[in-house]
Order: sequence, then structure tokens, then C-alpha cells
Amino acid sequence: MKSMMKVLSRYVLSAAAVAVLLLVINFAVLTIWLFTEKNDKNYYSIRQTADQLTFTKEGYELTGSGRDQLERNNQWAMLLDPAGEVIWNYKLPADVPKSYSISDVAGFSRWYLKDYPVSVWRYDDGLLVVGSPKDTMWKLGIMIPQKSMDNLKFWIPLFLILNTITAIFFALMLGLRLFRSLKRISNGIQDMAEKRPVSLPINGVLGDLAAGINKASSQLILQETALNKRDSARTTWIAGISHDIRTPLAVAMGYASQLEEDEGLMKEQKDLAGIVRRQCQRIKDLVSDLNLASKLEYEMQPLRKEQASLAPLIRSVAADMINDHISEQYTLEVSVSDNAQNGQLLGDKQLLKRAVSNLILNSIKHNPEGCDIKIELSKDGENFILSVADNGTGFPKEVLERLNELKEDVDHKEGVDYKEGVDYKADVDHKADVDHEKGTETDALKEQNNHGLGLTIVCQIIKAHNGSTHFTNLTGGGCQVICYLPALNS
Amino acid sequence: MIDIYDCKLLLVDDEPELRRMVITILKQSGFKKIISAGNCSEARSLFDLEKPDVVILDVSLPDGDGFSLMRDFRASSSVPVLFLSARDEDEDRLLGLGLGADDYMTKPFLPRELVLRLHAILNRTYFPAVLSQKSKPVFFLGDIKVDLNSCEVTSQKGNATLTAKEFSLLEKLFENREKIVTGDSLCMAVWGDSLYGYENTLMVHIRRLREKIEPIPSSPQYLTTVRGLGYKLTGVTVL
Repeated sequence: MKSMMKVLSRYVLSAAAVAVLLLVINFAVLTIWLFTEKNDKNYYSIRQTADQLTFTKEGYELTGSGRDQLERNNQWAMLLDPAGEVIWNYKLPADVPKSYSISDVAGFSRWYLKDYPVSVWRYDDGLLVVGSPKDTMWKLGIMIPQKSMDNLKFWIPLFLILNTITAIFFALMLGLRLFRSLKRISNGIQDMAEKRPVSLPINGVLGDLAAGINKASSQLILQETALNKRDSARTTWIAGISHDIRTPLAVAMGYASQLEEDEGLMKEQKDLAGIVRRQCQRIKDLVSDLNLASKLEYEMQPLRKEQASLAPLIRSVAADMINDHISEQYTLEVSVSDNAQNGQLLGDKQLLKRAVSNLILNSIKHNPEGCDIKIELSKDGENFILSVADNGTGFPKEVLERLNELKEDVDHKEGVDYKEGVDYKADVDHKADVDHEKGTETDALKEQNNHGLGLTIVCQIIKAHNGSTHFTNLTGGGCQVICYLPALNS
Repeated sequence: MIDIYDCKLLLVDDEPELRRMVITILKQSGFKKIISAGNCSEARSLFDLEKPDVVILDVSLPDGDGFSLMRDFRASSSVPVLFLSARDEDEDRLLGLGLGADDYMTKPFLPRELVLRLHAILNRTYFPAVLSQKSKPVFFLGDIKVDLNSCEVTSQKGNATLTAKEFSLLEKLFENREKIVTGDSLCMAVWGDSLYGYENTLMVHIRRLREKIEPIPSSPQYLTTVRGLGYKLTGVTVL
């Protein structure tokens, strides 16, 4: 709407400017024309005629160019003496008298002489009269009060201003008409941008435009519906699979767990059952990750956003992590800057916890030899800065590239197809107590590790909170993930 | 009914393999009377006939859903219900619990967890007296005896009484012994507010508590600080 008002005001102003400019140009042209007309070579002033009239021994004589001039313009001429008698003439028409009284002279010098437009010029003590053919000239006597002429410097600007105002008024009236129809179109485009159905009336000047917009809008909506349908079909499909897989998995996990606790079995057999059980748990985690990732990707995950304090949330994740999962070779340190202690944000606590724990688990999993994990939370004005860093092996180069691609993918809401992620706690906390599975499993693990969705989910969760995620390797070794999350104004 | 193992269990799930597995687990853990159904109508008739003491319900069933089945059961009795569902959506979980289910577990699950949750439900429902008799714990930190009933700490140095705040702190730490308890949750337990602003107050109370329960309060041995996170109560011997 703002832009439309701008368009309208610009339109009105320029229309008014054009009108006034035209007025000024017209005046100028008129003045110039009148001026040049007077100076026209064809226009021979009576004064020049008078100059050409000379008194010789034979009487008065009109010489050279003066005569030509009269000839060419079909004019006639006469010279009156002080008594009003014609003492010389040139082609004097027959209906023109030869003698004049003072009142006659006063009459024709101002108006016409027998309908001939005449001009007069004082010649010695007589009067030279030059007459043009009838109906070739207008004679106007102009008398303007001195006061009016004095006021001209006031009237001209006023005239211009009044003209400008009138021009603006008309431009505004016409503009408003156009504006009204444009406004409909503009609203239509806005609706289209927001994916609302648009149906504009297609009459009027802008009918074609409106029809085009209607059509584009219905096309857009069709596409949007098709896309949504596809997205929701995909998400439903994944949700369905993750649902269907759970029951058979429950059976497998149940029996494996039974065997693991069966006192009648040998330790090795029980260990094998334990592996089955843990792998089942991993499938379960992978499936729920896949489900969550697909829902976040297509915005089907309901976000339960509420006012939440980030600092306690991070501390509780870290404490849970230390309490439950971490073995001796890992250290976990949390530091929160003073200005972030009390800061709040609008977020889904469960998802945010998930993001933080995924980041910690990622560091743990990629550094089986152990590492020091540092979580730092600070705040710069409007954003929380959450950094999770370790001093471990860091991201391999190609993984880092993929992660940053992924970040862009998530940022642009495109498909995610990458291989990197976290592994699950089941393998971390039980790694130590089962010796012989190490040989068989760690190699396989390395393969599988790169197929998790942990960091994808981190990116998606941060994105869902209007934040951004950045992956870097630290120069001294290790990696750092920085998440920016918009804070609530306190 | 002498103990919870005398309770009659009704298991409703459309997957025969899963039914077999759950029945095996429950039998092994000591439950004697387990009946099962594969769909809603079967479950309804069994319910009316056998009057089970607890129902384990799947949410999606071939001829209906577990939620409405539970509503039907609850119309005529107050039988406890545990959902065992393949749906892990928070909505379903909240719907189930909101309708008055006693618990909600998602598949796949650990058998032991199912058994433990079942125990909790049955104890709560049929043997509440046992629970209510339960007194506050009495425990030892080395030679130091802490009685949370009388709020008394007995050591070689003599007797000390815990203040209300110290009691709340120690109770929270004891409930989560051997685990880190964040400063936030301690403050929440004691003052009903989060850490920020209470940091120093919390430290003062912890110091006073240490004077009572630590042999050498300046180098704490049982109530340790976890930098940046909170505190931890270790070396607890429960009487």
C-alpha cells in the first residue's frame, strides 16, 4: 500500500508539473512568436514608409523599398496637411474622403477609416496615413489601468499557483481513479504472494492485467496444493513406516532383552543378545530421527513454543548427559555469560534440548578416544550465541563442506541429502562393558555413523526458531558449532 | 489379592507375535493371570467376562482405537490402563494421558521397563497403604547419619538440625544422589524460581549445609560442586 501511495503522489506531482510546464512553455512560445512576427521582414512599419517619403521639387515622392512594400501588401497611403487636406496619396481607394476634420482623424487613428485598417505617423507637421486592404488587420486599442500593470508581479505568480493547484486537483482526481483500480491489482499481487486465492474483477482499463493475475494466482495455488500434497504424502509415508516398524522392533527387542537377562545362558550368548537389543534401540532412534527430520523439513512438526530460559535448559541437558551417558574420557564444561543468564527466548523446550544434546553426542561419537567439550552461551543484543566446541578430531574436510551445504539447504528449505550425524547413547554407554563386540562393531559403526540425522535435526530445530547454525573447525584441532538464536526482549 | 502378581492382566494388541512376547515377559516376571485380545470387540467381551485388574492397550487396533476402548472400560470401572503404542507423537501421548491413562509407553520398549511401570501402577492402585507408610529416608554419609524425618544430622561432632531450606536442598540432592543436580533445579526446589539471582544465596546455603554434613566443610567430600552446572551428593549409604 505504501508503494501505491508513493506511485500516486509521484504521478499527481508529475502530472501537475507537466501541466504547469506546458503553460509556461505556451506563454514563452506565444511571446516569442509575437515578437518575431513584429520583426518579420514582411512587416514594414509605417515609420519606415515615412522615412522613404521625400519631398522633391515635383512634390512628395515615395521611393524604392517604401513603394515596393506598399505594392506587395496591397496598401495605400496618403499624406494630410495640418488642415486635414490630402496633399499626396498613393493608390488611394475611391471611397476614402480627401479631407478630414480633427474628429475624423481621432476616429481613424484609433479605429478604422471606412473599414480600412490604417496606421498613422507624424510626418513633418502633417500626418502620413497608410491603409491596408479591408479585413486584413485587427486593430485593438488597449488601455490597462496602471494599478493592474503594477499588480502584475503579484498576479502572474498567483495565476501560476492557481494553475498548479488546478492541475494537481485534476491529476489527483484522475490519479485516484487509476489508483483505485491499481489498488485492487496491488492487493491481488499481495494476496498472490501470500498464497491466498485471488479473484479480481476483470472489467475496466486494467482488466487484462487483472485477468492475468487471477490466472497466475490460480496456477500458483494449484502448484502449492500439489507441493503440499507431495510433502505431506512423503511425511505421512515416513511417519507410517516409523510406526509400522515399531511393533516388529518391539518383539525383537523384547526377546533380545529377555535373552540378555537369561541366567541360563553363557555370558557370550548374553552379550550377543545385548548387541541385538542395542541395535534394535538404534533402529528405533534412527526411525524417530528420520520421522522428526522429515516433519521439521516439511514444517509438519508442531512447535510448542513458550517462553523459555536457555541457560537452565542447557545446564540441565549437560547435567543429564554427565549423569547418564558420559564415560571418564570426556569432560563437559558449561559456561554462561552474565548477560545470558536470565535471557529468555520463545521456543520448544524439548526440541531445543534435543538440539543441544545432539551437538554434545556428536562430539562424543566422533572422538572415541575422548575429548573436552565446552558449551558456551552468551548474548549479543538480540541473539543468543550458543557454541559447542571440542578439542577432538574436528570435522573431516568433506564433511564440513557437506554440513555447510546442508545448512544452506535447510536455510533455503530444499531437500536434505547428506551423510553426517550423531550416533546414539546406546553405543556410548555400553561400549566399555562388551569387549568382543568392539572388533566387529566399531568398523561397522564407522560406516554407519555417517548416516545419522543428528546434525540435520540440529540445523532444522535452530531454523525453526529463526536462528542459524555455523560449523567450523578450530585451528588448534577440534570443531565448533555455533548457533544463533533470537532472544526475547526482556 | 495378596500381592500385585495376583492381579489379572488384560493385554490388547493386534500383533500376535507382540502379544506372545509380552505375555512371556510378564509371566517370567511373576504375573500369573494374563489374558489377551487382538481387537476391540474381543477385548470388550473379555473385559466384561474376566474383570481384569489392569489393561495394557495398543492405540491402533483393527476395529477401533485404544482411546475409545479405554473410555468404554472406564465407563463401568476405574481399571488402570497402560498404553503400549507404536505412535510416538507427543499428541498421542498427551491425548492418552489426558484421557486418564495411567501410563503411556512407546514401542519398542525394554521389557524390564514395562514390568517396572506395571508394578508402579498396580502398587499405586491396589496397595496404596504400602506407599503411604513410606517415611522419609534415613541415610549415612560416611559416619554421619542424616534423618530426613526429624531433619537431624548426627555425627561425632554432635547433633545438628537442618533448617527448612537445607532440608529441601538435601532432599533434592538425595533423590538424585550420585547425579548432578543443576543449580536451577535446586533453586526451583527451594525457592520455586530459577538460578539467576539466587546464585549467591544458594552458595551460602550449600556452605551451611556442608558445615553440618561434611567432616571437613572446606574440602567437601559428599556434597561436591560441579563447576558451571550444579552440585552432586555422593557416597550415600541408605539404611
